[in-house]
Amino acid sequence: MTNHAILNPADHGTLRVRTEAHAALGDNVTACLVMPAEFRAAQAHYPIVFRRDAATGKLAAIALFGFDSGENLFLTADGWDALYRPLALAVQPFLIGRAGESDSAPQVHVDLAHPRIATDGEGVRVFDDQGQPTPYLEAIAGKLGDLDYAYQAGDDFFAALERYDLVEPFSLDVTLDNGSKQTLVGFQTIDENRLAALDGEALHGLMAAGHLSPIYMAVASLSQFPALVARKNALTARA
Amino acid sequence: MSTSIQRLVIVGGGTAGWLSACLIAAKLPGLAITLVEAPNIPTVGVGEGTWPTMRETLATIGIAEAEFLRECDAAFKQGSRFDGWTDGTAGDSYLHPFTAPVPGEMRDLIAAWQAGAPGAPFAAAMTPQHAVCAHDLAPRQRAMPDYAGALNYGYHLDAGKFAALLARHATGRLGVVRIAAEVTGVVAGADADIAALRLRDQADLPGDLFIDCSGQAGLLIGGHCGAGWIDRSDVSLNDRALAVQVPVLPGSAVASQTIGTAHEAGWLWDIGLPTRRGIGCVYSSQFLSDDRAAEILADHVRAHVPGADVAALRPRLLSFATGHRDRFWVGNCLAIGLSAGFIEPLEASAIVLIELSLKALTENFPQSRNTLPIRAARFNALFRYRWDRIVEFLKLHYVLSRRREPYWQAQRAAAAIPSGLADALMLWREQPPSVWDLPRVDEMFPAASQAYVLYGMGFPAPAAAGAAPSPAAVARIADVAAKARALAAALPANRDYFTALAAHSAPPAAQRDHAAP
Repeated sequence: MTNHAILNPADHGTLRVRTEAHAALGDNVTACLVMPAEFRAAQAHYPIVFRRDAATGKLAAIALFGFDSGENLFLTADGWDALYRPLALAVQPFLIGRAGESDSAPQVHVDLAHPRIATDGEGVRVFDDQGQPTPYLEAIAGKLGDLDYAYQAGDDFFAALERYDLVEPFSLDVTLDNGSKQTLVGFQTIDENRLAALDGEALHGLMAAGHLSPIYMAVASLSQFPALVARKNALTARA
Repeated sequence: MSTSIQRLVIVGGGTAGWLSACLIAAKLPGLAITLVEAPNIPTVGVGEGTWPTMRETLATIGIAEAEFLRECDAAFKQGSRFDGWTDGTAGDSYLHPFTAPVPGEMRDLIAAWQAGAPGAPFAAAMTPQHAVCAHDLAPRQRAMPDYAGALNYGYHLDAGKFAALLARHATGRLGVVRIAAEVTGVVAGADADIAALRLRDQADLPGDLFIDCSGQAGLLIGGHCGAGWIDRSDVSLNDRALAVQVPVLPGSAVASQTIGTAHEAGWLWDIGLPTRRGIGCVYSSQFLSDDRAAEILADHVRAHVPGADVAALRPRLLSFATGHRDRFWVGNCLAIGLSAGFIEPLEASAIVLIELSLKALTENFPQSRNTLPIRAARFNALFRYRWDRIVEFLKLHYVLSRRREPYWQAQRAAAAIPSGLADALMLWREQPPSVWDLPRVDEMFPAASQAYVLYGMGFPAPAAAGAAPSPAAVARIADVAAKARALAAALPANRDYFTALAAHSAPPAAQRDHAAP
């Protein structure tokens, strides 16, 4: 259930949002969308893989937080155990809305049914007593703007991956310390052989469009899998 | 006879006695601690404001913050606000917050304040706590670890409930033995030490070290030990208080600071707890009748506590002697709490003095009787110094006033101003307060506190501060405003904090069982 409203000081003057990391606040997710523009920051913490939408066939990138459904290995009793959270998660419970035409001016919407909406006076205010945006909302608005821009730019990036046939199916089988097996299937990743075989003209085109850096960042992010497995081992060892 | 110190005996079961029992038991677990309290002696129960030191004290004792807040009906205290002290006109108000000014050389910061926001109060320019207090906000979010905050804070609490919590904790979890008996005399030992206490209808209670927490009676320190009394009423004129507790409306705002409101011959305290407000009229009996004090108190309650039934108030009259012992540690006996001394509750020095006494004792605890005289001499010198600084700092609040009533003029009479304070005020016309004025470790009122009162009351900033501020100071002062905005958005109202705390609190027993290993 969602309940989207256009954010405004008249209706949301005293609105407070819970900002801490907690499963009950919607952080119990195994993955979240990540934009090519934030691959650099995200790859320092999370494996980034691609997923093809079953209906449209379009590619999207996701950052992985765990293996099992609802498992987020970055969620600890002390909060979110990484310095960077992907924008799509960090902006919750806010989102970009557009009235009518898709090229009309973006507005800040809020999902009033989101668990981050505070009802007991705790959490961070969105507007101050004068109806001015608080530093928190200013930061959120900045992130929403970044996210919106990055989302639009993403189409171009994924089109380039398709054009040069740079993705290949990816699966992962890991044996945990306790002997159990973890399997990830259904994802795509960068085909490093094809990437290495690109000619100068293709590389130059990718570089000029700003796609080359995120491609390599996605490749580098796979080095986070051992760290993710280590988190899973630490969790099962405690259980 | 053994010379080692193994048996500690505490006389008196108020805040001082039980705080002593808990803190010493927690820090020196090898001692055998006994607290003896008379069954029917009521505690004074008006020491209801703590300093930020209480957070470390409670953490050391081993009480969870949520448990403390819930059991003591406690609220957060982020400083003291003084209304009407400078000239008594409308809007005359300043804050002495617990959070120190942003880092930097004070002269430079003053220049940045005067260049950047000359109209803003000094405290508002120096710390975001000013804005947070103005909005009745808590200094922390519930999700933060125990005893951590976005700003420095202490507590307002119900002193009776606090002593009861400490007593349960001391006897239930820290192995302190409680004896309910009246102390009727002392069995003297060698060198006039105390060997044991005589108890009514019970066997003598022997000990190696005794702590007198018997309140103003000073049973041991003033009795057997014969410590003298140093009267400070020549400087500190107030000698009476009329105190009431007023229930508050559900959902009403809980203030973030103690509010001290000046009146014609003294001042009123106003301490907000989640369920009640403790309000008291402090005055000098030389300048004000008890009846007039009662009127002032009733007027204040009527004006400031919505929904209060003023006719139902039954104020309690407290008379107090202002002063302290000439020695606080004599032989094998220490006075801690009101037995050591008392001065009016302005700036809430009573409980923090207990904590500082216990810190000095536990970090310098005698291993044997051989070192008692040396430790006693040091302790006495330190606490004579502390009392002098308290007397002077409280006096500072009066000497800067421009109020014209006879009482206020008497407060400013040259003969009533300690020479140390008079000298400091001369220096502070040329340079801001600094460590040169207050050089000791754990100064109770460091330069920052002096500056908050001085510049809060409009004391002229030193002329040389008219020089251009450094870019670093300008940036720091600008950052205070940005931080104030962010904190005002992120911190919950005090009332909402305590409502959520009550709603989310597990029963105490269950909570302890699930504590992390």
